[in-house]
Amino acid sequence: MRRIFYILLSNPLSVIGLVLVGTVVFSAVFADFIAPFPSHRGAVVDFSNFNQPPHWPNIFGTDLVGRDVFSRILYAYRISLILGVVVLAIAVPIGVTVGLAAGYLGGWTEFCLMRLTDVFLSIPPLVLAMSVMGLLEPTLTNGMLAVTTMWWPWYARLVYNVTRSEAQEGYVLAAEIIGASRLHVMFREILPNCVPSIVTKMTLDLGFVILIASSLSFLGLGVQAPTPDLGSMVAEGGNYLPDSWWLTVFPSLAILIAVFGFNLLGDAFRQVLGSDQ
Amino acid sequence: MNVLAKTAAAALLSASTLALMPTGPAFAETVLRLDEVAVGELDPAKASDYADSILMFNVYDTLVVPAQGAPGLVPHLAESWSADGNSHTFKLRKDVKFQSGNPLTAEDVVFSLDRMKALGAGLSYLFANVDRAEAADENTVTFVLKEPYAPFVASMLRLPIVDKKLVMENLGDGDGDMKDWGQAFLSANGAGSGAYKVTAHNPQQETVMAKSADYFLGVPDAAPDTVRLRYGLEPATVRTLIAQGEHDISSQWLPPEVLKALSQDGAQLLTESGTGGFYVKMNTTKAPLDDPECRLALAKAFDYSAAIKMIAVTDEISQGSPATGAIPVGMLGANPPSNELSRNLDEAKKHMDACRYNVGDQNIEISWIAEVPLEERFALLMQANFAELGIQSEIKKMPWALFAEQVSKAENTPHISQLFVNAVTGDPDTLLYGMYDSKAAGTWQSPEHLNDADVDKLLEEGRVNSDEAARSKAYHELNNRLMAIAPSIYGYDRQSVFAASNRVKVPALSDPSKAFGLDGMGFTFRLMEMQDN
Repeated sequence: MRRIFYILLSNPLSVIGLVLVGTVVFSAVFADFIAPFPSHRGAVVDFSNFNQPPHWPNIFGTDLVGRDVFSRILYAYRISLILGVVVLAIAVPIGVTVGLAAGYLGGWTEFCLMRLTDVFLSIPPLVLAMSVMGLLEPTLTNGMLAVTTMWWPWYARLVYNVTRSEAQEGYVLAAEIIGASRLHVMFREILPNCVPSIVTKMTLDLGFVILIASSLSFLGLGVQAPTPDLGSMVAEGGNYLPDSWWLTVFPSLAILIAVFGFNLLGDAFRQVLGSDQ
Repeated sequence: MNVLAKTAAAALLSASTLALMPTGPAFAETVLRLDEVAVGELDPAKASDYADSILMFNVYDTLVVPAQGAPGLVPHLAESWSADGNSHTFKLRKDVKFQSGNPLTAEDVVFSLDRMKALGAGLSYLFANVDRAEAADENTVTFVLKEPYAPFVASMLRLPIVDKKLVMENLGDGDGDMKDWGQAFLSANGAGSGAYKVTAHNPQQETVMAKSADYFLGVPDAAPDTVRLRYGLEPATVRTLIAQGEHDISSQWLPPEVLKALSQDGAQLLTESGTGGFYVKMNTTKAPLDDPECRLALAKAFDYSAAIKMIAVTDEISQGSPATGAIPVGMLGANPPSNELSRNLDEAKKHMDACRYNVGDQNIEISWIAEVPLEERFALLMQANFAELGIQSEIKKMPWALFAEQVSKAENTPHISQLFVNAVTGDPDTLLYGMYDSKAAGTWQSPEHLNDADVDKLLEEGRVNSDEAARSKAYHELNNRLMAIAPSIYGYDRQSVFAASNRVKVPALSDPSKAFGLDGMGFTFRLMEMQDN
C-alpha cells in the first residue's frame, strides 16, 4: 500500500490528477458549506441581479434568473458524481458477471452473452443513451439508466478477456481438481485477478460518465430545471455567447477539470496496479 | 513547346485577363440576409407560423392588406368589396399577372379557396365557415358563408392567391381529379403574383428570392434585389454574423440579452406589435386548477413586473408591454393601458383560502416549450412565485411536438403551459376563439380545455354581429369574464423585436405610421430600403 502511494506521488501527473479529483469530490460533498448561495440550486429567482459578469460575491457571475453560477457548479458536481458512482455501481457488477460467465463457462453461454454484448457495443454510445432517454421521461434516475445501458458491455468485454487468459492458469486448474464449484472458481479465484483492470477502468470511466451525462443534458435529455447540471448550464449559456461568456465558460471548465482529473488518476492507477502485479 | 501549345496558352491568358477587366458600369446587386426558425413552409395553404408568413406575403398576394399605421383593411388584388347578408363580393384588379405570366382572375381566387379547404392544413380553419366561392365573371368573385361571420374580410389576409393554371400543369401523384392539389410542386416552387419569386428553396436551410420585375405595383429600386432567408440559426451564430456585417435581420426569437448586446454594438432594433400576447395557460379540468379560486390565486401571485423586466431589451424597447387583460392593448375589446395587471400576494392568499383544495397536498406541473429558452425562465419565476403561496411545483421541459400531441387530451395536458398566441388576422376573434371556445378545446392554443357557457356566448356574439359597437361591447364583456374565471395568466402583450444591421431600412418595422398591425407583414421586402454602406 505504501508502495502504491509512493508511485502515485512520485509522478507529477498523478499528483495533479489526485488534486483535481480531490477538489471535485470535496466540492460536491461539502457544497452546502462552500457554496455562497446554497438556495440557488433550487427554484430561486433574483431579477435585481441577473446575467451579471463575475463580481463579488458572485465570483462566477449570475445566470439568467439571477442565480450564483459558482454555487450551482458545486451542486452540479454533486449530481454528476452521484450519477457517475451509481452508474458504475450498477454497470460494473452486471458487466463483470457477464464477462466472468462468458469467459469461464465457454460454449453456448459464451456465444450468447458475448454476441449480446457485441450488439450493445455496435450501437454508438450516445445514440443508445439518447434512444433510452427518448423513450423515458428526462429525469436523473432515467439518465442513470440510459448511461448504464451503454456502459456495462465494456466491463463484460474487459473481464471476458482477462478471464479467458486466467482460466488457463495453474491455480484455476488446481481449484477445479480439488472440486471447487464453478461459482467459487469464478468469483473467488479468477475475479480477484481481474480487480486491478476493473479499478483502473472505473477510475478512467468516472470522468467519461460525467462527460456523457453532460452531453445528454446538453441535448436536453438530462435532469430538469431547476436541478443544477453542468451539461444543461453549457447548453443554456451557449445561446448567449460571446457576451455572457461566464454562463458557458465556467461550467465547461468544471467539466474539463472533472474529466481531466479522473483521466490522470486512472492512468496513474494503471501504472501502479500494473507494476504491482 | 510547340506553336500550338504556345498559342493556346496565350489565348487562355488573354481570356482570363479579359474576364478580370471591368466590362462597363457595374450596379452592385443588393442582398438582404435574414433568418427564421427551422422549416419554412412554402405552400401557402399550409403556412401557419412566422417564417411561413414571411414567404407567403412576399411570394403571393391577397385580396386585401392591412392599412399602414391605422386600423382597417385596404384594397390590394381587390379593387373593392361589398357584403350582402352572408355573401361577400370582391371586384378584382384587371392588371395583375402571376410570375408565370398568366393573368390573375376570379377563377384563381376560387381555386385558392378550394385548395385551402381541401388540404385542411395551416390556417384553413379560418375558412371553415365559407360554404363556397363563385366566379361571377373574370374579375368578380363571391364568397358565400354558412353563417354570419363579422371578421370575414379580415380573414382574406390569410388567403393567398395561387396560379391555378400553373398548379394544374404540375399536379403530382394522388387520387381523384385534383390528385395532390399540386402539393409537391408548391412545397418547392412559388406560384404567386408577389413582388418576389422563389429561385431556390430548401425548407430546412434557406429560401432564396429575387425581385419580380413585372409586379403590378412595381418594386422600388431601393428594395433588395435578392433575399436569402435562412432557417434554424443558433442565437450565438446570428449574434456573430450581424456583428461581422454578414447578416441583416435577426428573427424575433433571439433572447433579450442577445438583442441588447447587438444594439450596444450599433445594430438597430426593429419592432412589431399589437396582435398577441404571452399566455400562461392553466388546465381547467385538472385539480386544483379546476377551481377558479385556485387559478385566480396563481394569477394574482404571478410577478408581472419581473416578467416585463426579464424581456426588456433596452430602456426604451422591450419584447412586451404590461398586459391589461385577455385582449392585447389596441385590439377591439381591450382594456386601457392604465389597467396594468400587477402582483398582489394578499389577494392571492385570499383566493387560495377560498379554494376548495388543500394547498400543501398539491403539486403543479409547469411545462415549458423546449424550443423557447425564455420560457424556462418564466417557469422558474412561477415556481418561485407559487412557492410563496405554499404550492409545490415541478418544471417539465417539453419539445413542441410532444406538447402538441399531449394537449389533445385534457388528462395528459400539464397543469400549466406557456404559449405566445397571435391574432392571425389582427381581429380578436382569431385570437380568442381558438383559445377559449369550448368547441376549440384541446388544440395547441387551448390547453385550458375551457368549457364556459358565458365565454362561448360572448365569443359567438363577437363573430356574428356585424355592428362594430356591438362587437366591441361583446369583447369587453368577454375580457371581463376571462379575468373573472382566469383560465390563463395574461403575462404580457407581446412585441416582436428584431436586431438589424444598418444596411437596411424597414419603415414598416420602425415607423409606427407605416406599421401594418399584422404579424409578418412588416417583412414585405419591396417596402424595405437597402443602404449603400
